[in-house]
Amino acid sequence: MDLIRNHILSILIFLPIAAGIALVIVPRRYAVFIRWFAFISGLVAFALSILLFLWFRSNMAGWQFEEFAPWIRVLPRVVEGETRYAINYHLGIDGISLFLIMLTTFLTPVAILASWRGITERAREFYVALLLLEGAMIGVFSSLDLILFYVFWDAMLIPMYFIIGVWGYENRIYASIKFFIYTLVGSLLMLAAIIYLGLQNPAGLTFDLTELVAADIARSVQYWLFLAFGLAFAIKVPVFPLHTWLPDAHTEAPTAGSVILAGILLKMGAYGFLRFCLPLFPEASVHFAPLMIVLGVIGIIYGALVAYSQPDIKRLVAYSSVSHLGFVVLGIFALNIQGIQGALLIMIAHGLSTGALFLIVGMMYERRHTRLMSDYGGVWRRMPFFGAFFIIAALASLGLPGLANFPGEFLVILGTFAAANWVYALLAASGVVFAAIYILWLYGNVMQGPVEKPEVEAMRDLSVREAFVLAPVVIFIVLLGVFPGVVLDRTAVSSEAILEQVRPDESRTSLGRGAWAIEVRGIGTHALRPKTDSPQPVPHFLVEGGEEQ
Amino acid sequence: MTIPVSAADWIVINTELILVGTAMIVLLLDAFNRRISDRISPWITLVGVVGGLVSLGFLWGQEYTGFAGMLVIDSFSVLVKMAILFGTGLAVLLSVDYLRREELAQGEYYGLLLLSTVGMLLLTSSANLIMIFLSLEMLSIALYVLTGYARMRPRSQEAGMKYFLLGSFSAAILVYGVALIYGALGTVDLAGVAEALTAPGILSNPVLLAGAGLVLVGLGFKVAAVPFQMWTPDVYEGAPSPVTAFMSVSTKAAAFAALTRVLVFAFSDLSGVWMAVIWAIAALTMIFGNLVAIAQNNIKRMLAYSSIAHAGYILVAVASANQLGIQSIPFYLIAYTFMNIGAWAVVTVITRKGEEGVGLSDYTGLFWRNPLLAVSMGLFMFSLAGIPPTAGFTAKIYLFMAAVNANLIGLLIVAVVTTIISAYFYLRVTVIMFMHRPSEVSAVHVPIAAYVAIIIAVVATLWLFLFPNSTQAFTEAVWRMGL
Amino acid sequence: MLVQYLPFLILFIVAVAFSGGAILLSRLLGPKRPNPVKLAPYESGMVPIGGTRRPFHIRYYLVAMLFILFDIEIIFLYPWAVIYLTARAARLFLLLEMIVFLGVLMIGYIYIWRKGALDWE
Repeated sequence: MDLIRNHILSILIFLPIAAGIALVIVPRRYAVFIRWFAFISGLVAFALSILLFLWFRSNMAGWQFEEFAPWIRVLPRVVEGETRYAINYHLGIDGISLFLIMLTTFLTPVAILASWRGITERAREFYVALLLLEGAMIGVFSSLDLILFYVFWDAMLIPMYFIIGVWGYENRIYASIKFFIYTLVGSLLMLAAIIYLGLQNPAGLTFDLTELVAADIARSVQYWLFLAFGLAFAIKVPVFPLHTWLPDAHTEAPTAGSVILAGILLKMGAYGFLRFCLPLFPEASVHFAPLMIVLGVIGIIYGALVAYSQPDIKRLVAYSSVSHLGFVVLGIFALNIQGIQGALLIMIAHGLSTGALFLIVGMMYERRHTRLMSDYGGVWRRMPFFGAFFIIAALASLGLPGLANFPGEFLVILGTFAAANWVYALLAASGVVFAAIYILWLYGNVMQGPVEKPEVEAMRDLSVREAFVLAPVVIFIVLLGVFPGVVLDRTAVSSEAILEQVRPDESRTSLGRGAWAIEVRGIGTHALRPKTDSPQPVPHFLVEGGEEQ
Repeated sequence: MTIPVSAADWIVINTELILVGTAMIVLLLDAFNRRISDRISPWITLVGVVGGLVSLGFLWGQEYTGFAGMLVIDSFSVLVKMAILFGTGLAVLLSVDYLRREELAQGEYYGLLLLSTVGMLLLTSSANLIMIFLSLEMLSIALYVLTGYARMRPRSQEAGMKYFLLGSFSAAILVYGVALIYGALGTVDLAGVAEALTAPGILSNPVLLAGAGLVLVGLGFKVAAVPFQMWTPDVYEGAPSPVTAFMSVSTKAAAFAALTRVLVFAFSDLSGVWMAVIWAIAALTMIFGNLVAIAQNNIKRMLAYSSIAHAGYILVAVASANQLGIQSIPFYLIAYTFMNIGAWAVVTVITRKGEEGVGLSDYTGLFWRNPLLAVSMGLFMFSLAGIPPTAGFTAKIYLFMAAVNANLIGLLIVAVVTTIISAYFYLRVTVIMFMHRPSEVSAVHVPIAAYVAIIIAVVATLWLFLFPNSTQAFTEAVWRMGL
Repeated sequence: MLVQYLPFLILFIVAVAFSGGAILLSRLLGPKRPNPVKLAPYESGMVPIGGTRRPFHIRYYLVAMLFILFDIEIIFLYPWAVIYLTARAARLFLLLEMIVFLGVLMIGYIYIWRKGALDWE
């Protein structure tokens, strides 16, 4: 057990990769075995991430489950009598990474299960790609060495590129190339910045995050480096003017690809801001925060408006991601504890709710082979069971209290009030209203009304497998909406540590368990009370006090 | 006057001796019994190459000077020699079935390949301008013949002729440069040149500058740097595929070794002058190679332009002229050897008799016809584009670090932007292989030797990414060695 | 420093003077009785009239090339011989080296022989 405990991150990264490589040698004709093998590997990874969750110490500052091994020897230097390489295999997580890793390990088996029927051609290679992707994504969330991070960040592009390009829909090639080149543009500039950052370190060449965070970087240098890193992350998030790859990639990807793309890949950008931009370039972060806030707000409103005008269901969901991720950016660059923790909550909630929506769209597509809203109508009458899942995912997406997205959006708006102009907070809040419009429009058009099309008449309700795909996601949507404290408790210390880097002069308090009521009473006052340990149940308050009711 | 010849001299050239010996065996065998030679000469050649690699293993970490300072063995040359020999070995594996398919004679082919390799190995060790010229000629003359080896194919003849004419021209320029340098400094020894350059006022001597410039042109031709790259696409396209594979990596490796030695070690005091020139050449080479590659529909031409572009990247390391830069050159060359030969191996396999089927469209749906081949080619493409997890990525990080360390931010930006451009045409190959469906699913026949070559290249491309230290710990000595 | 090159200059002048003088003297002193055959350029006894770009058979080139190759390599024997005279200790070594060199030449010779490059027909 100790062996697992000490190397759990490596195991999490390399278990899926090893499973993927092992799949390659399985003859293609054992299709059933291949599917189950992939699915079970995904489940094992998820089980391991639950161990990670259980072993995680929520009140401990600093990195947990650290692993360190020398990797690439470049200009080695001697630190405290031992030779240190510039590039190391350095892993470790804090509360922020913990939940993103769990999201990854959770969504991957879901995605595998969702591809059971949809992927028939070269299914083996598809599962291989998914498993390799999972390993790389976990690597991104647990790397503490900048080059290692970059390796996973870029390596992850390759399987995703193939998932979109080989198994996607009509326009898949265009979408996959666009996705690849967009990301590469950002990431190569980031690579240049990483290398510059490593070489300018006064103590010698290193790419270790902890060491670099401790070093002082000149303000003007910070600005440039922030822009280079920020571009990479902003493309990935995506922040408003750089989002144009997203609708194409999401729409053309197969269901599993869309789920992973929306659920996890987009979070990498936000994660990058939190993990690298803020701690490494605190002054630049403060300097550029207003810009990022404006872009975030534009993203929220723009995404929502464009989503409303989409006839294609999948595109609509894709644009809703732009809107939701706008909240994340807004929260991060509010640069206060409410904002950051809210952003984290949205990241996870969006992964679940949008993931569920993509799964739902995928299931409709498998039945009708069209993604146009006008081809549906009255589906609920034929598929009531399905409709139940759909409504929960849809309501979560529009921020209904009691479901996953609400606490995060609420906190972010709160953080924006505290940090920036109230106008932004107001505009952001209006984004929630827009979300209600397009989501309800979507649901109404697809599910409600009379059944007019004969094809709709023929649609069958969910199979057992499909129910098993959707049920866990929806359960987690409800759980997260009701117990956001499970996340907030574990991310509080980490978020504070990041803020400590950015604004060491300001005293803050974290949102721990039960801090919710205090938080609400304290709107606009900036003054937050210290974390209390009273196990105050949050759900009642939230459900009753929500604005939607 | 006596010429001191000692045992150390033989150590210095022991790798070359092994290969020359092998070449003679192969040639004689071919002269006496054609039938046996056709069957076993590739394997004899391989044994010779492996023997050469083993002998390099004994030189690992040692330093020798031989033949009155004409040749040196140091970490730099040993590493580059390894790159060259890996290139030769893989090219031999590719040639076995290629020659059979094209119905070409076997024995002389391997003899020429080995002799050209010997020229490259000598070039890598040369510490004397005359020696550089001699070994350059040795490798070139054999290559001219190899380029035109498919005598019945006009394209191959044309390529051989073109390469010969332009090559001899560049060699002449090189010699002229050497003569001018001798005129200005009174020495052709690289260490002597470095020492002579410390004399006051010598640096502005126009004869010296002209000489150095001409030497640069001569070597620039061999590494295919812009504006001396015009021969590359035609020659690479026309030459037999395995020869192109060999030529694109091994010649480049050897010529870069010589270029580095001349510029960074001998002419380091003149760096104020050549730095700007190399800067411009590197930038132009990267931009030109990558931009033109986009427009290619013939995979051989595309890879030719890609190889021009890679020369540009390595020139970035030369331009940085610091420890990181010098260290990154051998690594880049070794990584490039495997990924590029790998790509050429796939090209060789896909190509049909008479060098037909080199259009990108011939790769349509390769994933559906032979997944292993397609995945390998994809890996090489990603590696050439510098995307992890491949050796090409590690090589690029070293390069970028060298550029930043030398404060060549402008060049770094060019390198980054052109890398993005390059991703486009490398991706195009993967798009065609993976994302287009083939019109008819016909299996691709892959000879076993070619399979072995491809698998070695794949493993090495991944291995160098995972464990790059094996060369790095070693190359640290490179910088210390001076000359 | 240039003084060192004086012998070369003298040699150069002597060479030019000798050849130039010979031509000049024969022109001045020789009797001149021209006829068409005498005025025609000397061409190794062949008829100098006709197209000048006559194709030669490739074997002429081959033989010429081989001749030059071996001819040039023999030049190495001279400096070797000079060194061999003055060397005392390493004579055996030098001898072996020359044997190796000649051996390499011999392999080339055997090769062209077996390949039929020396066959006239």
